[in-house]
Amino acid sequence: MVNLDSLFNELDTIAVNPRIALDKYLVSGKKVIGCFPIYTPEELVHAAGMIPMGLWGGQTTPSVAGQYAPIFTCSLLRSCLEFGMLGKYQGISAALMPMLCDTYRGVSGAWRVGVKDIPLIAFIHPQNRKLAASREFLAAEYGAVKTKLEAIAGHVISDAAIKNSIGVYNAHQAAIREFCEVANDHLDVVTPKIRHTVMKSSHFMEKGAHTAIVSQIIDKLKQLPIHQWKGKKVILTGITGEPDDLLDLFAENKIAVVGDDLAQESRQFRTDIPKCGGPLESLAQQWLDRTACSTVHEVNSSRGKLIVDLARKYGAQGIAICLMKFCDVEEYEYPMLVKAAEDAGIPSLSLEIDQSTMNNEQSRTKIQSFAEMI
Amino acid sequence: MTETVAQKPKRPLPKSRVMVAAQTAKVYQDAWDAKARGEKIGWSTAIFPQEICETMGIPVLYPENNAAAISAKHLGDDLIAYAEGQMRYPMNICSYARLNLALAEKIQDPAYNTADPLLPSPDFVLLANNSCTQLMKWYEQLSHNLNIPIFFVDCLFNYDEEKPAAYKVTYIRKQIESYIAEMEKFSGKKFDWDKFLEVQKRSQINSKLFDDIIQLNTRVPAPVNGFDFFNYMSCLVLCRGKESTTEIFKQLKLEIEEHIANGTTSFPAKEEYRVHWEGIACWPNLGHNLKTLKNYGVNAVINGYVTAWNIVYEPGNLDSMAYAYATSSTNSLTTETIMNMRSDTIKKFDCDGMLCHVNRSCKMMTFHIFVGRNIVEEKTGVPCSNFDGDQSDSRVYSEAQFETRVQGLVEIMKENKEAKNG
Ligand code: SF4
Ligand code: SF4
Repeated sequence: MVNLDSLFNELDTIAVNPRIALDKYLVSGKKVIGCFPIYTPEELVHAAGMIPMGLWGGQTTPSVAGQYAPIFTCSLLRSCLEFGMLGKYQGISAALMPMLCDTYRGVSGAWRVGVKDIPLIAFIHPQNRKLAASREFLAAEYGAVKTKLEAIAGHVISDAAIKNSIGVYNAHQAAIREFCEVANDHLDVVTPKIRHTVMKSSHFMEKGAHTAIVSQIIDKLKQLPIHQWKGKKVILTGITGEPDDLLDLFAENKIAVVGDDLAQESRQFRTDIPKCGGPLESLAQQWLDRTACSTVHEVNSSRGKLIVDLARKYGAQGIAICLMKFCDVEEYEYPMLVKAAEDAGIPSLSLEIDQSTMNNEQSRTKIQSFAEMI
Repeated sequence: MTETVAQKPKRPLPKSRVMVAAQTAKVYQDAWDAKARGEKIGWSTAIFPQEICETMGIPVLYPENNAAAISAKHLGDDLIAYAEGQMRYPMNICSYARLNLALAEKIQDPAYNTADPLLPSPDFVLLANNSCTQLMKWYEQLSHNLNIPIFFVDCLFNYDEEKPAAYKVTYIRKQIESYIAEMEKFSGKKFDWDKFLEVQKRSQINSKLFDDIIQLNTRVPAPVNGFDFFNYMSCLVLCRGKESTTEIFKQLKLEIEEHIANGTTSFPAKEEYRVHWEGIACWPNLGHNLKTLKNYGVNAVINGYVTAWNIVYEPGNLDSMAYAYATSSTNSLTTETIMNMRSDTIKKFDCDGMLCHVNRSCKMMTFHIFVGRNIVEEKTGVPCSNFDGDQSDSRVYSEAQFETRVQGLVEIMKENKEAKNG
């Protein structure tokens, strides 16, 4: 019988080395489409019978990306470009890229000249989301993406198939949300790293298969007695809370992660795809329903409130702001987040997330003193 | 040790420059006066459909232009330090944004008067993201910090080489329509469509005139020091739809034609080399840029930044206007499109090289340079040289590096010229 550890290990292997998953899919004859984060309509890829594979770069010191990407490119896309240029994504049939920020606008050009073997399918989300015209626009934009995917798949993507995939994705989101809730009753087992692994691995797996594993994890956790966590609790906010070593520092200091607003994690799973009009309209409406995210235009962003509410709901003593190096959209929101935490009387901690270095010494000191403070 | 340096007598400003200064002063004064009367005034991004507020007689000022002016007067450092210090904005965000977000807070104190020109606090902001997405984040912060509304025209980004598809233009046009209706409600003023047509026509006349003026610099040697064009950008940013801009441009054209007739130029040295300047000016370092270029006889005859405000459309046709706002900014097009345009300009203006400002603030412009300079080199055969700088943050620029890079570029241009001339 499988136990929790083996389920976690299975996901860990994939989260740490997505290439393993990629090769497995390629060997089985599947076409794989790279999906740059975040809010890429993976459902269309899924509906085409292809595998959407998240492109999240990884810890690496870029050696070739600097040819096209200036030093102040966000750490995330610099490593993605590096991997692309070095052929580490070889086998992927195309890459979907959302034009969410200036770095994406720039990297779209860099990718085209630097990674010639993986064609780019760029698209853009409407940021003025108040008008009915926004949904019409995005449905048309997704339609254009769909046409390009059909050319790669070699067949049309039917509405029924998209509807089916929407069901798969909504079920997956619900499973992840349930996992996060249940995990908080078992913080002795679900360490910050494991919590992260469960969510990160989903970006490299067919979602139905991932849901199946997560459901088993939830069942097994529920069978365990509820654990009274004696350590501290925090909420994470930012793009990613990586690498694993960083999360281990929390564990070492007896700090559990009880909620997050990370783009790599809960931000992706908190907004369901509603039913409205055709399936492309439904997917478009999901974007219009999203809030509290630095990549989404919102007058008077609700993000400060969201992280404070999360902290209160789950009894977190602190909020860790994981600031992706050179991510300007996050940097603009930084003062607002610190202020929201301050106003709520919740201590906050700012950590630099940098995929180009393995050195966590600065974070270690910061987390240690934060643990003593909260 | 003190030294007395003999002051060179300053050349009197040409009449057109005096007119620009008066026009700019009037725009600021109008805004201050309106504010004093209790009317609403706005702040706007540089390539926003200005025609609407112009039609409605609502004063609007432009933070990008204001930040440039403040930086050129070396008054930006304190504001930038305040944004990074007390306000906690990270130093990696655009320096215009840092400067302006600090200024927006400072001016809430009526006694504050350090910055120049000083803006009255806005009652609303106008946002178009055709130059970049940082503008969106910056204006969100203005709206959040000052608790004022945003009127937004999302202009998308043309990530493919093709022209924007009809559904994209429709989305932008519908936003403009909705913005007009919202502005009517917000201001309590009725929108006059006939006047709008006149403003549109005036904007087209001004854009066309400016383009004609720029083209005069294709002459060898150039009648104008390319850096002079920076001084007229405010006409297109602040007053694209005003008749006073037409008057200024007519005067400027006369002055240039006079140079042509007399065989003179506003470039202060013999023009040995002609280069294309890529990117925004380094406002705090303009003096050093110019001095260095002058020493090497390099005239930056043309630059892509000053032509970004030429918003060309058919008056009376909102789709055409929407299309223009989606495609006019350098940063709203792909690197390939931009660099192909640059290559054509380099050929047309007979440039010997390209000098690229790797602007620490502006990711998009920098990506264009990193990704696209090969395109220019291949298409035109002219050498490109990069230097590091920033439009407002004076900490980034290094005089020594600039000098070395210009020197290096000049050496290659010289070799190329010698080879060409046998
Ligand atoms: S949102 Fe931030 S992390 Fe994501 S691509 Fe843009 S700059 Fe990079
Ligand atoms: S300088 Fe660049 S980043 Fe700053 S506002 Fe202008 S276009 Fe945007």
